[in-house]
Amino acid sequence: MASLSTPTAFLGTPSPIDGISPADRLGLVRAMVLSRVLERACCELNPRWFPAEGEEAVIAGAFYGLRPDDVAAPHYRGPFLAYAMRGASLSRLVAQSIGRATGYARGRALGFTGPADLGFVPWVAGDLGTTIGVATGCALGFHYEGSDRVVVCTFGDGTTNRGDFHEALNLAAVWKLPIVYVCQHNQYSISLHSSQVLPIESVAARAPAYGMPGVGLDGNDVFAIHEAMRDAVARARDGRGPTLVEARTYRLGGHWASDPGGYRHPEDEDRWRQRDPVPRALADLVDAGIIDASGVESIWEEARDVVSRAVALAQAAPEPGAMDLGASEALAASGRDDRQRDPRTGPPAGADAWRE
Amino acid sequence: MARMSFVEGLVEGMRHEMRRDPDVFLMGQDVGKMGGAMGGSRGLIEEFGGHRVRETPISESAMVGAAVGAALVGKRPIVEISFGEFLPTCMSQVVLQAANLHYMTAGALTVPMVLRTRVGDGPYRGHPQCFEAWFAHVPGLRVLMPSTAADARDAMVAAIRDPNPVLFFEHMWLYHGVREDVPDEVGSFDLDRAAVRRPGSDVTVAATGWMVHKALEAARLLEPEGIDIEVIDLRTLAPLDLDTVAASVRKTSRLVVAHEAWKVGGIGAEVTAAIAESCFYDLAAPPVRIGAPHFPLPMTKPLRDAFIPSVEDVIDAVKRVRAA
Repeated sequence: MASLSTPTAFLGTPSPIDGISPADRLGLVRAMVLSRVLERACCELNPRWFPAEGEEAVIAGAFYGLRPDDVAAPHYRGPFLAYAMRGASLSRLVAQSIGRATGYARGRALGFTGPADLGFVPWVAGDLGTTIGVATGCALGFHYEGSDRVVVCTFGDGTTNRGDFHEALNLAAVWKLPIVYVCQHNQYSISLHSSQVLPIESVAARAPAYGMPGVGLDGNDVFAIHEAMRDAVARARDGRGPTLVEARTYRLGGHWASDPGGYRHPEDEDRWRQRDPVPRALADLVDAGIIDASGVESIWEEARDVVSRAVALAQAAPEPGAMDLGASEALAASGRDDRQRDPRTGPPAGADAWRE
Repeated sequence: MARMSFVEGLVEGMRHEMRRDPDVFLMGQDVGKMGGAMGGSRGLIEEFGGHRVRETPISESAMVGAAVGAALVGKRPIVEISFGEFLPTCMSQVVLQAANLHYMTAGALTVPMVLRTRVGDGPYRGHPQCFEAWFAHVPGLRVLMPSTAADARDAMVAAIRDPNPVLFFEHMWLYHGVREDVPDEVGSFDLDRAAVRRPGSDVTVAATGWMVHKALEAARLLEPEGIDIEVIDLRTLAPLDLDTVAASVRKTSRLVVAHEAWKVGGIGAEVTAAIAESCFYDLAAPPVRIGAPHFPLPMTKPLRDAFIPSVEDVIDAVKRVRAA
């Protein structure tokens, strides 16, 4: 695990990836490629989509390999990959992003929410920070029942300035809750560069003050992130408490798809485009002899195919109607008890087969 | 039949459910060895231990978030916010997460949690502000305010068993009042029903919390004058049981609504507006609302006494709706 004493890791020192099997390396990279293609499709369909381009390594690395009975609380930027890796239907996700009735909430929730019944903290509000508290509560539930289930919660660098971040991390550390907090540090709170709103270089540097380990990583190195996550998740599963992981990356797009982003330096954008995590991860696979050039092309082909079919299905779906408003569904019927549901089973979150 | 004070009823309700259901636990500040603010959880840590009676840091937002999350994964948390004055510090967790989750997931999730808190003027005169109306305004929450020891126990049991987030407001003046007879068997508290505490024919007085008792006292004092008041304990502030109020108004033709919270934008405003809509032609006089005047709650006793609605205010209001 990288440590705070090696902050140069932020700048892209390649990590040894011996600890990750070739199959998992391939799975991680296929997930990143899917996210790139899916995000671009969502941006084309919805000018108010929040693009995750450039941040794919953090999302894939954070959620890859989670068990089906774990809980994932993804950041609003790029959550579709987290959902897809756990079996969400791509066409329903695209439908969600464009407000069609076949999305995951009958047109009721935000475009970037996902299938709540697959073990996610859903997006039901537009604020930032409360999902960290809810994710921490899921970890409290697992801790309370003495299970080895864990929670992975991602959020932006901007969100770490919310009081909810502070309160949740303190509580999780006091109670040694099984949760991994991952800062998807893309350097921007909408238009503000992190240097304007964070007086310290590293969010992970705050971890020791909360009484938990902090790990600062190159957020464009998917293998390093996943390796650190495996350690942090294992630590949480063993009852050793929470970890704060910070993966420093860069938001290559605007805050929303049509945001021209005039507030930032073009040379920054160019520099980070050189470090684009997707081609970098593909090149790593080729260098390691896991795939060749034609393998790279077929990964892209597969993603384009599955996404274009998902887009076609979503666009053909109807818009929600007044029926979906559900006149009296703000409260659940008394007597309902959801505890009878069996824990989910199945393969860990990965990228073996995307669901159309 | 047992004799119980209001606070003993509250604790008994929690104890009953904690014995019955291992998924039920309590968390809050000072809920353990200290026995909770004003004895609100006395005896629970001795019986259930620190795992199920959890002491928390002063982090209201994290506490409520923790309750929401634990509820999402099948637990039945009770989170205690020591006083209603602290609710603004966890408002986003209540109104953005707890309230929205069921509807916004198209019914996939439920949030079976209870948020209990103390409001109203009490013997220690601290933390008296009443913010319950804020929560009645937001869809997706149940809001309860019991006024008797039996309801304190039975409403707590019903709240814990309900699949929805329940805001449970405990009036501090009632906490250590007289002990009442409470049936041994835990009753079934109807979360959708107000209670008629005193049947009457002349004027309907719909009240909350401590004001229920002031309304009953007003009824007693007015009896010699031949004025017969029907007193309704609103007790389920959301969803509000307007049917019970409307049935009463159709009988009495006169309505007074009384609460300790501010009159402006209060529960009384909702009740009178709804009754004006549904029973306009049944009313013989304009309804009267009783609530606190629209300025911050003062601290010293003389100012507090002038601020908080009294038995005399209820009597005046009853006479006004009769005179009209």
